Amino acid sequence: MTAVIEAHGLTKSYGAKRALDAVSFSIASGRLVGLIGPNGAGKTTALKAILGLTPFDGGLRVLGLDPRTQRDALMREVCFMADVAVLPRWLRVEQALEFCSGVHPRFDRSVAEGILRKTDIRTTSRVRELSKGMVTQLHLALIMAIDARLLVLDEPTLGLDLLYRRGFYDTLLNDYFDKSRTILLTTHQVEEVENLFTDVIFIDHGQVLLEASVEDLGGRYQQLTVAAEQAERARALHPFYEREVFGRVAMLFEGRSAAELRPLGELRTPSIADLFVAKMQRSERT
Amino acid sequence: MNSTLATVADATARSAAPPAARSLAVRLLTLVRREFWEHRYLWIAPLAVEGLLIVLGAIVGHRQIHIEDTDFDGWPLHAQKVAAFTILQWMLSVPVCVVLMGAVSWYALDCLYAERKDRSILFWKSLPVSDGLTVLSKAVVALLAAPLVAFLVALVGFLVFAAILSLRTAAGGVPAYFSWDLIEWARTELVMLILLTVAVLWYAPIVAALMLLSVWARPNPFLWAFLAPLVAPILERIAFGTHYLASFLYYRTFGIWGTLAHALTQGHINIITHHGLHPIGTLLDEFNIAAALTDIDLWLGLAAAAVMLLVAVRLRRYRDDS
Repeated sequence: MTAVIEAHGLTKSYGAKRALDAVSFSIASGRLVGLIGPNGAGKTTALKAILGLTPFDGGLRVLGLDPRTQRDALMREVCFMADVAVLPRWLRVEQALEFCSGVHPRFDRSVAEGILRKTDIRTTSRVRELSKGMVTQLHLALIMAIDARLLVLDEPTLGLDLLYRRGFYDTLLNDYFDKSRTILLTTHQVEEVENLFTDVIFIDHGQVLLEASVEDLGGRYQQLTVAAEQAERARALHPFYEREVFGRVAMLFEGRSAAELRPLGELRTPSIADLFVAKMQRSERT
Repeated sequence: MNSTLATVADATARSAAPPAARSLAVRLLTLVRREFWEHRYLWIAPLAVEGLLIVLGAIVGHRQIHIEDTDFDGWPLHAQKVAAFTILQWMLSVPVCVVLMGAVSWYALDCLYAERKDRSILFWKSLPVSDGLTVLSKAVVALLAAPLVAFLVALVGFLVFAAILSLRTAAGGVPAYFSWDLIEWARTELVMLILLTVAVLWYAPIVAALMLLSVWARPNPFLWAFLAPLVAPILERIAFGTHYLASFLYYRTFGIWGTLAHALTQGHINIITHHGLHPIGTLLDEFNIAAALTDIDLWLGLAAAAVMLLVAVRLRRYRDDS
């Protein structure tokens, strides 16, 4: 598996503030990676660097290309959706199709039309006449018609209701994602999409806190729920996070064996959302 | 058998090497069309003005013209009718060109600002269109496509006007004040084409400067474009007591016309004199096209325009307000 994105000491400063502080990570082909972090963590800055939308320091290769100097070549292979509602309001649906066909060598108009037929969007409508959910559907239809190797989505479902969010991810997973494609996705709604990811990268204060495949998480992290009276014994094993749930204590451990923990209480693999909260709170303290 | 082959062909097409990029011409044409989708006033405004002129001119306006009042002074009546015809042709075209100047100025200021304002720049940049090609397409719209649209609107508009007038004359509703003359009509169109071409070349640096403002200005390029040429010369006057800036702006606005048609700008030539009317085509004899096109300041202006557009390309690279 070749790396689609390779970052080495990726750094980006806005004045004195370091949005990205010598970040390194690697994303392999055919993965669906969640880039997860609180607001201002540096997620969007990282995406902008990857997409050649902002200058940066350090090493970064995307599909073997340097986004600073080879952006035009890169954009033939990469597609992105930055936030919602960046489609211009004056644009008609048919004009959007016409434009993409005219400029993008990998755009297949019939694919986009096929997706749009399943929605309530009429081709004569202007973007300003569509609801927010429909605009996102339109944008998704345009993106899915592009045979890109890397798709970058920055908070693609922000501000959409549950039905549209579900539909969005279902379409993305069932009709688009395959082994030849890589998707990099940022989102706030971790719990909603955590089953989608094959890999996660946690980022906060411009630093990578965790980079792992979802299969590996089970081996690395354990969540133990113990009765209050067992808590002291469990604490001796140095959990990196704990919280009280209905009079019991949930603790997260890194690198402990199941044999050590199981006698103390209920053991399971933590959800990405729990792990995220734990990692973030620890990074706040330090 | 066929279906198997088709399936195989389909599968290979999907996994084939990257398809060849769309040809430059197709991409540029698509980008230019895009500009006319977004900035519809570029074709609507000339059409609306021409339509209004046709309605006013062909249906009501002719009552005001009293050609008999002028002293013909030996001019053949036919020549007067032809001259009057070309003057009408002129009158139906000049307002369109004035509107074009306003529309293009507005467009140049808005074209790289609007995409930042509505954040659609992030959509345009998600497609394989370079900043260079984007800025080029917008310059092509401002300096070639929009003027061409206005010229054609005026040309076709006048033919429609002439047809209406001929019909009314034939029906006896209007006295035959005008005579159609193919040569004089073509000469008048040529005069306008020359003026338009020289105007485009001379004003290119202004258009480029407005586009640079459009890509650069943070809060509002329109404010800069209107206030800077007003305030800067006043400040210069107050600070240094000089007026170089004002003369420069004046020269960059009117300078070429003296070179192209010296006698005309000095007021030595009049189309309407007490001797009668002169066809617009006679202006061709006054034009010094070679002098205008080899004017060093015209070429310096074009070079400055090219530099400003290149700077605009560089600025758009990382320009993003979000």
